[in-house]
Amino acid sequence: MSSRSYLFIPGNTPSMLQNLDVFDADTVIIDFEDSVVSFDKDAARILVRNFLEKFDFTTTEIYIRINDATSEFFTEDVASTKDLNITGYVLPKALPDHILKLNNLTDKLIIPIIETPMAVLRMEDIAKLPNISGLLLGAEDLTKDLNIRRTLEATEILYTRSKLVLVSSAYNIDSIDTPWVDKDNLDGLTEDTLNAKNLGFTSKCAIHPNHIEVINTAFTPNELEVLEAKRIVKKALESTKGAFSLDGKMVDLPIIEKAKKTIEKAKKYNLL
Amino acid sequence: MKASAGTYESSDCNITVQYNDTTLINVESIVFEQFGDQIKEVIIQTLTTHNLINVKVDCFDKGALDYTIKSRLETALKRGGYIE
Repeated sequence: MSSRSYLFIPGNTPSMLQNLDVFDADTVIIDFEDSVVSFDKDAARILVRNFLEKFDFTTTEIYIRINDATSEFFTEDVASTKDLNITGYVLPKALPDHILKLNNLTDKLIIPIIETPMAVLRMEDIAKLPNISGLLLGAEDLTKDLNIRRTLEATEILYTRSKLVLVSSAYNIDSIDTPWVDKDNLDGLTEDTLNAKNLGFTSKCAIHPNHIEVINTAFTPNELEVLEAKRIVKKALESTKGAFSLDGKMVDLPIIEKAKKTIEKAKKYNLL
Repeated sequence: MKASAGTYESSDCNITVQYNDTTLINVESIVFEQFGDQIKEVIIQTLTTHNLINVKVDCFDKGALDYTIKSRLETALKRGGYIE
């Protein structure tokens, strides 16, 4: 089942690492890339290694964002972490060749970041590769490459968002929306997160722990949604037909399956 | 060779290592009274694990847990060429 929230935390900051399960994110991405300066990449690897060997996390999934496959740090990032108890790797600037390179080094799961124009064009080629568990949109880098401004309305990334959702859904993997970068604007975050949810994203990532509650709330079924799902599934069990009417609306197999997923989610987050 | 790792941020420590005739450990910590001995013990254990005896270790601690002290020491030792 999809994680609702993916939180990036800097890999060379002990105070963030040792609180990673307190932040309430479903998945934590320990970062070796942008938040770790080049002369401290070795320090981050050793710190994270000792940290994960010392502490076990059962309720939080852990990924590591390694440096991109063309960087001088890539190979050692993987070599120093592949036997750790992590779910997988987040790969920045991902293209198909880079993922194949990573797959040759490890069989852990991979979340490629779609953050270049070429990656947008080759999204399907990326999604169909082995070990891909989701696609993550990196809109800040993408819009920088395109030399355009990020806006609250997000029309500049609408095509990319929609394509990512379609491709991810077709290949049955998570679709993870780009982080909201305005740390203190929680109203903007709420609107951006609901937009992502309404487009069909399964998840959203965050670069600040304060954003997790908003994201988790948006991607958790509310009381009404759970109630409706229970009614649909109950009627489906009682009905002898493939399609039936409920409250004047037609309910058929896709809607019944969606209702079952809502109930699964509700159980996972202790709402039932 | 003298080498350092870590920071002076809360929950971290900065460790400097250099060659010395004997093992010498200096610890300055915001929690020295409560944890000074434990910090020294982590440093000694880490040096022992790596079979190192002629090293001077200066540790400026800002409340680091054991795994952080061990990590910063190992990083400094690697940077200084004392371990692989």
